[in-house]
Amino acid sequence: MLLTSVIIILREVLEAALLLTILLAMSRFIGLNTRWFLLALALGGLGSIIYGNNLAAISNAFDGTGQELLNAGLHIFIYALLLITTSLMVINYYRPGCRLSLLKWCMLLAVMSSILREGAEIYIYLYTFHTQPALFGSVLKGALIGAGIGFSIGALLYYLLLALPERHTLLITCILLTIVAGGMCSQAVQLLIQIDWLPSQMPLWDTSALLREDSLVGQLLYALMSYEASPTPLEVFLYAMSLAVMALTLGFTHYVYRSHAHVPAVAH
Amino acid sequence: MSKYPVACMGKFLLLILFACLSLGAARPEIKLEIRDHLFLPSELVVPANTKIKLIVYNRDPTPEEFESYELNREKVIMGGQKAIIFIGPLKPGEYPFFGEFNPKTAQGKIIAE
Repeated sequence: MLLTSVIIILREVLEAALLLTILLAMSRFIGLNTRWFLLALALGGLGSIIYGNNLAAISNAFDGTGQELLNAGLHIFIYALLLITTSLMVINYYRPGCRLSLLKWCMLLAVMSSILREGAEIYIYLYTFHTQPALFGSVLKGALIGAGIGFSIGALLYYLLLALPERHTLLITCILLTIVAGGMCSQAVQLLIQIDWLPSQMPLWDTSALLREDSLVGQLLYALMSYEASPTPLEVFLYAMSLAVMALTLGFTHYVYRSHAHVPAVAH
Repeated sequence: MSKYPVACMGKFLLLILFACLSLGAARPEIKLEIRDHLFLPSELVVPANTKIKLIVYNRDPTPEEFESYELNREKVIMGGQKAIIFIGPLKPGEYPFFGEFNPKTAQGKIIAE
């Protein structure tokens, strides 16, 4: 029971932890206080419990597609929030202090949605065992170990990002967040295929012989970019599109604000 | 004169509707049960290259998460509930699945042939 519990909690915590730490590091980098983060943790935790307690009703909604629709919705919502967040970070690089409250709200909602998505599963899993005292002890111990490993990896990434030379921080954070955001879209697409809202197809390729999804590296890559060993052509296309849209938006924002920032300098 | 394109479009929509319905009807349905943290049956034979509607009944009072890396599917099924999961089209082969909350006992596989 212990090992199962470690693995389940670690997987869920890791998925949320990467997004959380990148945003938290960015918030620190820009010089925002961390109140938004604590509020997001509290709201996400509360939301997870409400989501978990109502999962049966949610699952049965919309002809049994409620769970997938809600989760896919959360993933797409996070993608949109990350697109706005990263664009505002780029703008802030050239115009410090620009729309900081919007930036905070976007980060808050992204962190909250991510915790809501992963936290509900942890809550359901732990709640199952709370009535079985014989097992609950080892499940809880496993959960604490799993969460501990997950948070440690998060902390490592956090300090790694803050230790970067300042001129690279923005670029690397934007690249990481673009990869995470692309993974969000790819998970949403997969959930919509699962309920037959998007057409399912034969996989385009299968890399499971090279890298299994359930291996350690596979799991880490899943947490970062939703690594999928056998994606369908539609998944690959939409994943590439989501990356391209975000990269182009960021590139364009960077171009516009950099040239604006340089105009006065050239004029003088 | 003006009615003609409307009628034509109506026929076209009906045709699409029938096509969708007939596709839906042709889709094989497969039933699977979770009982005492076990999948019953633990092996399911399905036609290859066909989309399948998998219906999973959780007969346990506790929740379970149907998960398969090979099928790219995951879904939490609360105690006493059922879940519909579309899978495939699959190339011939074996596709293991498991219950993430009880992975030691809840194991099964889908065999496409």
